[in-house]
Amino acid sequence: MDASSQYLSADYPDRADHLWRYTPWKKIHPTGDISDIPSDFSIPEVSLKTIDGSTLPPGISLDRGDADSEGLPDEEKITKSFLEAVTGDSKFTLTVAPKFKSEVPIIIEISTSGTFCSAHVCLDIGKLAELELVTVVRGTCKWFGMLRTGSTGEGAITSDVVVNRLEHGKLLRVESISIPRNSQFKAGTVSSGSTVTKADLRYRMFQPGGNLNVLGSILSAKEMSLDHHIEIYHDSPETFSRLDWNSACGGSSRTVGTGMLRVSKGSNGADAAQLFQNLLLSRDAQADSIPELEVSEHDVVGCGHGTASGPVDEDQMFYLASRGLSPNESKSTLIAAFLNSTLSEMGGERMHGWLVSELDSDLTELGD
Amino acid sequence: MSDDSEAREAVGDYKAGWHDPENATIRFDFGLSEKVVRDISELKQEPEWMTDIRVKAYRHFIERPMPTWGNTEELMEIDFDKVCYFLRSSDETGSSWDDVPDDIRNTFDRLGIPEAEQKWLSGVTAQYESETVYHSIREDLEKQGVIFLDMDSGLKEHEDIVKKYFGSVIPYSDNKFSALNTAVWSGGSFIYVPKGVHVEMPVQAYFRINAKNMGQFERTLIIADEGSSIHYVEGCTAPTYSTDSLHSAVVELLALPGAHIRYTTVQNWSNNVYNLVTKRGVAHENAKIEWVDGNIGSKLTMKYPAVILKGEGAHAEVISVAYAGNGQHQDAGAKVHHMASNTTSNILSKSISKDGGRGSYRGMAKIMPKAENCRLNIVCDALILDEESRQDTYPTMEVGNPTAHCEHEASVSKVGDEQLFYLMSRGHTEAEALGMIVNGFFEPFTRELPMEYAVELNKLMSLEMEGSIG
Repeated sequence: MDASSQYLSADYPDRADHLWRYTPWKKIHPTGDISDIPSDFSIPEVSLKTIDGSTLPPGISLDRGDADSEGLPDEEKITKSFLEAVTGDSKFTLTVAPKFKSEVPIIIEISTSGTFCSAHVCLDIGKLAELELVTVVRGTCKWFGMLRTGSTGEGAITSDVVVNRLEHGKLLRVESISIPRNSQFKAGTVSSGSTVTKADLRYRMFQPGGNLNVLGSILSAKEMSLDHHIEIYHDSPETFSRLDWNSACGGSSRTVGTGMLRVSKGSNGADAAQLFQNLLLSRDAQADSIPELEVSEHDVVGCGHGTASGPVDEDQMFYLASRGLSPNESKSTLIAAFLNSTLSEMGGERMHGWLVSELDSDLTELGD
Repeated sequence: MSDDSEAREAVGDYKAGWHDPENATIRFDFGLSEKVVRDISELKQEPEWMTDIRVKAYRHFIERPMPTWGNTEELMEIDFDKVCYFLRSSDETGSSWDDVPDDIRNTFDRLGIPEAEQKWLSGVTAQYESETVYHSIREDLEKQGVIFLDMDSGLKEHEDIVKKYFGSVIPYSDNKFSALNTAVWSGGSFIYVPKGVHVEMPVQAYFRINAKNMGQFERTLIIADEGSSIHYVEGCTAPTYSTDSLHSAVVELLALPGAHIRYTTVQNWSNNVYNLVTKRGVAHENAKIEWVDGNIGSKLTMKYPAVILKGEGAHAEVISVAYAGNGQHQDAGAKVHHMASNTTSNILSKSISKDGGRGSYRGMAKIMPKAENCRLNIVCDALILDEESRQDTYPTMEVGNPTAHCEHEASVSKVGDEQLFYLMSRGHTEAEALGMIVNGFFEPFTRELPMEYAVELNKLMSLEMEGSIG
């Protein structure tokens, strides 16, 4: 059965499922008519470069063509089959050679245009490779669907940050990454674009020694609705994961952070924690968190989660005011510090500097 | 296998698992229909408005699908056609234990209810199958205007109050099981505490299922008028059979301004009972509602005591513990809705799973946009004691006001080797050490219980821990 037929035969997702509770499929579907698979999808411009414009080091390439869909979650058929159906001619594979090393972060730049646009990017990262990767999505399309799949090699150390800088419209992002033996994977999300975002991000540690760090810096302003669902699977012994997700919500925006941490039977020595923090900046902003936990193994180092929501701290505001900052400056500083606590962990100094420069104008807007 | 030997084999360590011969004066056939609903109402000689509510609820129950969340596999196994929806064991409610039929009185004697009543209770109601068989209240409380009746008598004697509040907190359309309860409810407690009256000693209700494939659907309504307070304690047990029974209660609490209601449950149903209960309270200005909820027994429990903080300055407290052993799923939790400003809530959940049991915390905390300066704190701790067991947490937090301070934290872990080692170095066996750790883990719950309950619960948990190591 091809992807279109699979999509059309799949059951409509139940809103009792937390993945679909706040942003139902109808809301994020390109036309709102869920029985429809539009045909007029455009292919974005996709390029690979270094963060400072220097020449790409050997051992890394981005090719258009077949991308591997293996490892995609079977349990979520709707988005998987829909995105596979609309990315048929828009597949790209990033190949990183074994033992590849780059001092300079690498950027995959995706420029969207037209009404509907989509891309499937597959990561094929070789053994013992070390790199910092930023995938930045820009442009003016009204709807962008991005499927990211793939795996890292054994022993690889990867920072993989996705930056949403779409000017408006909707973003559907589905991601499934497999993390093998002794591999360290840092998955960052920076979201300050698009009006509506629905992201379903899944990471699976399927061999011993997998190490995962999921980080989010979410800037939600005006009338944005940013819904991120993160699932982390500990499917092997001695695996480690941390999730830190910071959302600042201003205007009449809404952020949703739902997490599922699954520790399967036999994953002894698992060490897992997730934390969602929300900073509420205006009367009409709303932040929702559902950090779920399913633990089927008793011999764990520890599994925990937490969530906290609140306004900008009055004591901190007072302290900054006493140092001569105006209320607006103080507030902007505290928002920046809040988001920077996860942003600064996403990569090295160069990547951090680049991310801050990208977000500077949005941070100012949020603090006003 | 005879009923007795079957039961003896199944009972195991469950102390309340015996059953009496069934001496029903009225017993409905298995299965549910509109006729059954109307017959229950007619039998109880209820006013027409109550019959109408029952029938509407029945129709809603039929139309409403089963929940698509939680343990759907277990839920789908419930065969509503194999449940007896009404069974009367005694033609009247006794006000003295001497008035209660011998076999039923013996059962409550064995459960220690009359003894507890004499020592430390303000009033007792004992429900056997569908209806209350014994009821009493201390004279001084009656003189102060406290009404403590079984729900059927409450409807007869105080129809105006019941009509005003029945279903006002939990309408039949709330969920499938509140619809079922509203359709076939029988028994439960009706309490009204007048303005400014403080009921110093707890009142207790005890619910016992005796018959096979029985459905118990008690309905409880507690109204604490301005500035009053009451502590209500309920306990429940059932015999162990190889077929399943169904318990689906609805409990509605109304704490008017400045009132305080504490509702304590020690649920120890046998492992063949589906326990699907809806409990909710509304707290008005400066009122306080506390749910102290212990879930030890049952096959599947789905219970999420809720508080709607409707008035400014109201407070909610939920302390919940769950023990999930072999073949059990304790899906418990709490819900708090902050509708008014300056409201506060604390939720503490403790859960242990062992021998393949599954414990789940499922919660909802919501701050409405107009509720200023609210505070909410949720803590969930869980212990997994062996390789076969499982723990889950599914909390939801929706914050719609920027002045709110909300926190949730949860952890799942095993019993620390160093804790066991320390206690064993002091001369305890592994099982004793584990029992002490578990009792310590549940201590925030047991310290809120009346002394007699706390002692019994500690004994029960120590018994459950025997043989769990090595």
